[in-house]
Amino acid sequence: MAVQDVTTRTAGAGSGVEGTPAAPASGSRPSRNGRRLRALEPLLWLGPALVLILAVVIWPVVEMVRTSLMDISSTGLTRGFAGGDNYADLFAEPDLPGVVLRTLVWVVGVVTVTITVSLALAQLLNSRFPGRRMVRWALIVPWAASVLMTALTWRWMLNNFYGVVNRVLMDVGILDKPVNWLAHPAQAFAWMMAVAVFVSLPFTAFVILSGLGTIPAEVYEAARLDGAGTARTYLSITLPLLRPSLMVAAIINVINVFNSFPVIWAMTRGGPGFATDTTTTYMYKLAFDNQAVGESAAMAVVNFALILLVVLVYLRVVRGREETG
Amino acid sequence: MKRHVIGISAGVALALALSGCGKGGSSGGGGSDGKTITFVAAKYDDDTQPYWDNLIKAFEAANPGYRVKLEVVDWEQMDSKVKTYVQTGQQPDVLNYNKFSDFARDDLIYQAKDVVSPKVLADFLPLFADQAQYKGTQYGLPFISSARLFFYNKDIFGKAKISKPPTSWAEVEEDARKIKKAGDIPLGLPLGAEEAQAEFYIWAMNNGGGWTDKSGKWAVDQPANVETLDYLRGLTKAGLTQPNPEATNRKDVFNQFAQGKIGMINGAVFMRKGFIDTVDKNLNYGVAPLPSKDGTTHNTLGVQDYLVSFKKDDGKNREAVNKFLDFFYQKENASKFLSTEGFLSVTKSAGDALSSDSSYYKPFVDALSGARFAPTDNPNWSAVEGAVKQRIGTAVSGTEPKKVLTEIQDTAEKDG
Repeated sequence: MAVQDVTTRTAGAGSGVEGTPAAPASGSRPSRNGRRLRALEPLLWLGPALVLILAVVIWPVVEMVRTSLMDISSTGLTRGFAGGDNYADLFAEPDLPGVVLRTLVWVVGVVTVTITVSLALAQLLNSRFPGRRMVRWALIVPWAASVLMTALTWRWMLNNFYGVVNRVLMDVGILDKPVNWLAHPAQAFAWMMAVAVFVSLPFTAFVILSGLGTIPAEVYEAARLDGAGTARTYLSITLPLLRPSLMVAAIINVINVFNSFPVIWAMTRGGPGFATDTTTTYMYKLAFDNQAVGESAAMAVVNFALILLVVLVYLRVVRGREETG
Repeated sequence: MKRHVIGISAGVALALALSGCGKGGSSGGGGSDGKTITFVAAKYDDDTQPYWDNLIKAFEAANPGYRVKLEVVDWEQMDSKVKTYVQTGQQPDVLNYNKFSDFARDDLIYQAKDVVSPKVLADFLPLFADQAQYKGTQYGLPFISSARLFFYNKDIFGKAKISKPPTSWAEVEEDARKIKKAGDIPLGLPLGAEEAQAEFYIWAMNNGGGWTDKSGKWAVDQPANVETLDYLRGLTKAGLTQPNPEATNRKDVFNQFAQGKIGMINGAVFMRKGFIDTVDKNLNYGVAPLPSKDGTTHNTLGVQDYLVSFKKDDGKNREAVNKFLDFFYQKENASKFLSTEGFLSVTKSAGDALSSDSSYYKPFVDALSGARFAPTDNPNWSAVEGAVKQRIGTAVSGTEPKKVLTEIQDTAEKDG
């Protein structure tokens, strides 16, 4: 829509342009034409980004919502408008409440643990010790490895027959017979959360580490002079000053973890049954196992709305606290 | 600046054009001259691609001017690919798939008689041609078939002092207990998502159960099916299967059988080529009819895959498709595919060409004559199959069999 605006502005009489503020006042009064061009200048810089956003963000969203309102046959053929039928079908699915609840546990659990562990890791990486550079590099490795690969590796490590986890636990004497970790929903879900934490750690730790780097040394010095202990310093200085980094880390993690597909898909495929599905894998199953593309699109819209809501609420809360604090 | 605005408009126009042509349906690229067709083939194993490459080379040499563009797709991605193709109007001219009836229902594919010569049409074995019909008209072209029989490891049976393979369910259970006592895994029961529908159907059909009743109505929750799941649940709870059948895929137990770790499984005709020969050529195993509840009648699960041809450009592609399909169904070409992949024939001529091949295939071919098939002629089957794959396994671990089957029945009765 913005683009249509652009074309009418260049072609049209340009009465609308009058009101727009010109760039910082220059010495000589520019001609009418020049002023018009000047007013359009920001578009030159915004244009490519706008097109990109339109093409890769807005359009798919529109298409997604449209699909969720269509009656689509199991072959993929669109048979016409379905109104709210897809949504009605979706909310009537007996497995949906469990899946949503599990998604909540998944997101809250993974993000909380990730951030807690990352805080400690970042603190460690921020202190000086021999080999620090090596450790920093080592932390990047799980980040660089593909998530799918990591998840597959873990699936094999947890395998009932060949898995190294069972082997080790049996050799140590903790287990006396192998456990089929990924076959029991609760255990499988716990393991998958652990893997999700594992792959989220590097990014989070580095965001927090960079936050730690921005805290001036003088503040710590002052605290020390005032006689604050380690715990007090951490709680009253480090954590509050880390808030911007923590916020970034939390939001990005919430979005990533919520949308996380490969870990669950590679390790359990959401099974047995739907016992380890989150809304993201459930959405996929609706489309390709249940053959209900429209219903799956409805799930996608619900997912989208959920994540938007979570982020907005989070921002609200954080900003509110900033104002009062 | 102006150029930039033009660039923006062009970008948006392109985006709109892309979205627009998604709905066109008949604008599939490349095939406008009617002599170039696209063929999406399923990947059965690593030999699939070379086979088609060679066949297409031979076809193009024999039919100058015609071209076939090949895409080989892994079975895992097939469903999502096909759906995307149809939804965006980019369906291939020829597709190798395991379903056809919902395409026929949506009027997307040609009838069989429109795309192969009468000679080829008559060459299909009636058993398979019947299964390729939608509402009495043949749409699917039978492509390959497979049958299931009972495989048992003779060494493990010897160790457990069992002299012959079980024929009834009671014997299966009894032998399983002996094998367990001897220290091996008795029965491989793959009820994980990969092929759970096949495994369940094998047991159910040998108890008089199945997917539909006599009139063709869905009857997934019939008592015989509940009884079947109760039996399998009993075996599982008694530890007579590999651990956690609900989370075990078919290829896992096939592999373990090939490694000599499992005493007995419901195997498939491609076991030897696909699993046993690649792991242990000297595995000492036997093949027997699938055990049934009463031990007297033994049914076999037949499986067939199809070729289908999509309607495009008002039938402009039909002639090229016809030529290509007739070329594939020539005796030498079709039989070569079967022997390459280790499947059974769906045509008389290729079957005759293969009949010289080994005693291994004979029991499968014999069993096929009375085989039962999944109701692939029902367009709703794909949704039912999806539900079965996801749910049926839970019936041997946690959920009550009756409840699981009722949920699947509900899915079946929903409109596709």
